[in-house]
Amino acid sequence: MPFKELSAKLVEAQLVPGQRMFSQRGAMVAYKGEVSFTPNIQGGQGGFGSMIGRRVAGEATPLMTVEGRGTVMFGHGGHHVEVIELDGETLCVEADRLLAFDGSLQQGTMFLGKEGGVMGMVRGQMTGQGLFTTTLQGKGGAAVMAHGGIIRLPITPDHPVHVDPQAYVAHHGDVRNRLSSALSWRDMVGRGSGEAFQLELSGNGAVFVQASEEKL
Amino acid sequence: MRDQAEPLDFRTLPADDNVNDYAFCVALDGRWFLQKGKMIAYYGQIEFHGVGHGPLDALIASSFHSPLHAADWVVAEGSGKMLLADRAFDVNSYDLTDGNLTVRSGNLLAFEPSLSLKQSIIPGFLTLVGTGKFVAASNGEVHFVEPPVRVDPQALVGWADCPSPCHHYDHAYLRGFLGGVRSLTGIGGASGEEHQFEFTGEGTVLVQSTETMLADRETGNVPGQAGVPGGQQGQAGPGFQRSYG
Repeated sequence: MPFKELSAKLVEAQLVPGQRMFSQRGAMVAYKGEVSFTPNIQGGQGGFGSMIGRRVAGEATPLMTVEGRGTVMFGHGGHHVEVIELDGETLCVEADRLLAFDGSLQQGTMFLGKEGGVMGMVRGQMTGQGLFTTTLQGKGGAAVMAHGGIIRLPITPDHPVHVDPQAYVAHHGDVRNRLSSALSWRDMVGRGSGEAFQLELSGNGAVFVQASEEKL
Repeated sequence: MRDQAEPLDFRTLPADDNVNDYAFCVALDGRWFLQKGKMIAYYGQIEFHGVGHGPLDALIASSFHSPLHAADWVVAEGSGKMLLADRAFDVNSYDLTDGNLTVRSGNLLAFEPSLSLKQSIIPGFLTLVGTGKFVAASNGEVHFVEPPVRVDPQALVGWADCPSPCHHYDHAYLRGFLGGVRSLTGIGGASGEEHQFEFTGEGTVLVQSTETMLADRETGNVPGQAGVPGGQQGQAGPGFQRSYG
């Protein structure tokens, strides 16, 4: 477990030789020991192909490779940070919310449109997340940023969770998501409740929401 | 921290303690120095005088040794309870016992006159010497780190008892061919971590939780004099003026 939460806004990572870590560029606050920070053109793992994939998907975020021996403190923009430990499951998160993650995690991009067809595409547009999201899979930790504190809501098959798309941060597990709309004529005349769209998550896993509707 | 349900008034406000993460209450009986615009409310009889105001000359002579910051500071005089805050940044108080602490000038909110304020030879920083309490703001909580440590220049709040920091440049990055190409052309990007402040020796380093700084106060210029860092126009170390993306 390389990540330790020092406070709500700061995490500390242990680095040992031979294990690398990725972090958002410029997010290092302080470090002890001999650590090197190398800008990563490809924006993460995989070869050239993965880089092109991420660029096309709009999930390319400036990352750096962190290697060496020591401890590194990460924090960024005064945002709250939550460490999510993965044990083989898949975490879906927007690339710009990733503060740092273990090099042992498999990074990928996922097309959201395939879930729910046209509605999936509408969902991407409505939530401002785009049509793609970054996935992390394997064993390891990831530090995820949010505006305001993060709340973890478990999802069970008989208890789906509805979240505001703007407050959605990430989810993991075997979860299907669907945009449910409650549009009515009121929204058309500007007298809506302001909660016309919700993200419905069902299956087995958990969703993380932030205590704010502000984007990062 | 206090229970927010309880109304705060003159009696229930804490004395020389935090009201919440973002506000600090001073139980004033005498004088305090504070930066302009950081007082948000007060109870009691308190008067605010600009530094340089006639009757305060003796006080200024004993505990305010930074003429270039004089325009940014006021003296609160009287008795009562005074609330201090700074743009909803985290606020903390620190106690110094016959010590010295250097802090970024934009982060310092207020200090007791038993301390004396001096300009650090590092441009943009102020040093407090003596015994007493002072209040400083930070973006996110402050963490205390023991040297040896290297700190992102923007995340540094201050340091106590340490020898002054020095610059540390990532050697491999500057030397390597690819690194050279990157820093010259910008192609491939920079990690933003090629340069840090390095602290060694005994002491404590104060680090805030993010590399987003509080807006700096205009710190003025030190006298243009040979041997004074930053003393001549354009002679300040480049590291202090470079901005990192």
